[in-house]
Amino acid sequence: MTDHQWLELAASYALGALTADERAGFETHLAECATCRAEVQAYGEVTGLLVHAAPASAPPPELRERILREARRLRPLGRRRVPVVPWLAAAACFILALGLGYGYLRERAAGDQASRALATARDTLAAQDSLVATLLAPDVGSAALAGAGRPPSARLFWSPSRHRIVIAVYHLPPAAAGRTYQLWAIAQGKPVSLGIFNTAPDGRLTAAMVVPPDLKFEVTAVTDEPAGGSAQPTQQPFLIGKVTRAD
Amino acid sequence: MQKTISRVNFEAVLANQQGQSRWPDGALVARISAGDDRALGELYDRHGGMAYALAVAIVAERADAEEVVADAFGQAWRTALQFDPGRGSVAAWLATITRTRALDLLRARGRRARALERAAQAGTNGLAAPLAEMAVAPDRGAEQQEAKRLVRHCLAELPEPQRRVIELAYFGGLTHTEIAAELQEPLGTIKTRIRAGMEQLRGLLAPLLSGEGS
Repeated sequence: MTDHQWLELAASYALGALTADERAGFETHLAECATCRAEVQAYGEVTGLLVHAAPASAPPPELRERILREARRLRPLGRRRVPVVPWLAAAACFILALGLGYGYLRERAAGDQASRALATARDTLAAQDSLVATLLAPDVGSAALAGAGRPPSARLFWSPSRHRIVIAVYHLPPAAAGRTYQLWAIAQGKPVSLGIFNTAPDGRLTAAMVVPPDLKFEVTAVTDEPAGGSAQPTQQPFLIGKVTRAD
Repeated sequence: MQKTISRVNFEAVLANQQGQSRWPDGALVARISAGDDRALGELYDRHGGMAYALAVAIVAERADAEEVVADAFGQAWRTALQFDPGRGSVAAWLATITRTRALDLLRARGRRARALERAAQAGTNGLAAPLAEMAVAPDRGAEQQEAKRLVRHCLAELPEPQRRVIELAYFGGLTHTEIAAELQEPLGTIKTRIRAGMEQLRGLLAPLLSGEGS
């Protein structure tokens, strides 16, 4: 195929209209063609907008509660509480710990259909990839968060290119009832929430969180907030640390 | 590793930040990845209507659509960590998950897509609803309403055969080969129509696309 012929497939690819063979061939080509990647990106956005062409249809009110009920049964993977060893061994530990997490998940899903368990397994593998990839990203920076020189403490890894941070917390008792811990990035003096978390009874937590794109920050901090987190901090931080970049 | 211990006066910062209570979508997803189910509820309040409308357009049956939306938000809940803001908006991410789940269910049931039935009727307007329907759409947010209005308007601008093949691919999940068989037209014709239709849509929708607005 000529470059021109490949380019003509970009719109159909984004729309999902290629046959399996065509798609495989096109994806191989995509890996080495920036022009086609840009075309796919643009047509992907066009495809994304087609959702607005669906005729309006109001969901039944009980659907919201059903979704929340199912969510409470199965916590997100990023929040899985796993044992933490010193951070140098962290990457290896994540794989093991997530495997254990998967076993736990599988147990919980025992009553569910096999397809649901399969979906969970796929999600777990992807989340595991995401954690490890964040730690191994070439641009990963890290920060040691501390309070008044004594425990608790935390270590944070941040990959700007992957928009992810991984945080490991030590010696921090679980938040009081009705309270939660919240992690902040201090960007140009302004706190931006990165997410809320809680520790296990042993005072530890490993979690990954999403960082908004284009958010530049050098300082991160942890505060104690009302359950659900706050839009802006309501307390002085008890952990704070400066990010050191890999480069 | 050097520890930096300093105090940031959050109270002083807070004084300048009052009134910013509405979390942006990205922050909601970050809260979800940390296990905050209230954030999931907020995300549903914002985008549940869009997801449900999409599911109904694909699977037709309301009970099936509910199943699809529940599955889609369940997946969003479990995999919030994988959401990459660099690759698109939260709404687009949710729409992709919902569409994939809906098409999976359709295939699992061996059912023909609703879009297919529609296309079989000559003279149909396809799934792009009449413009009059927009005013009563129960979506939240002026931004969503504006996007809806613009997208429907642009789809209506396309020649009917082009709009139809795009709808069959998007709402019906059909490949161009399947569309050609369904409409009993040559494959080359279908490919050309998809390409021409998408090209025209891209031009018409430029104001909503990143990097092509100007």
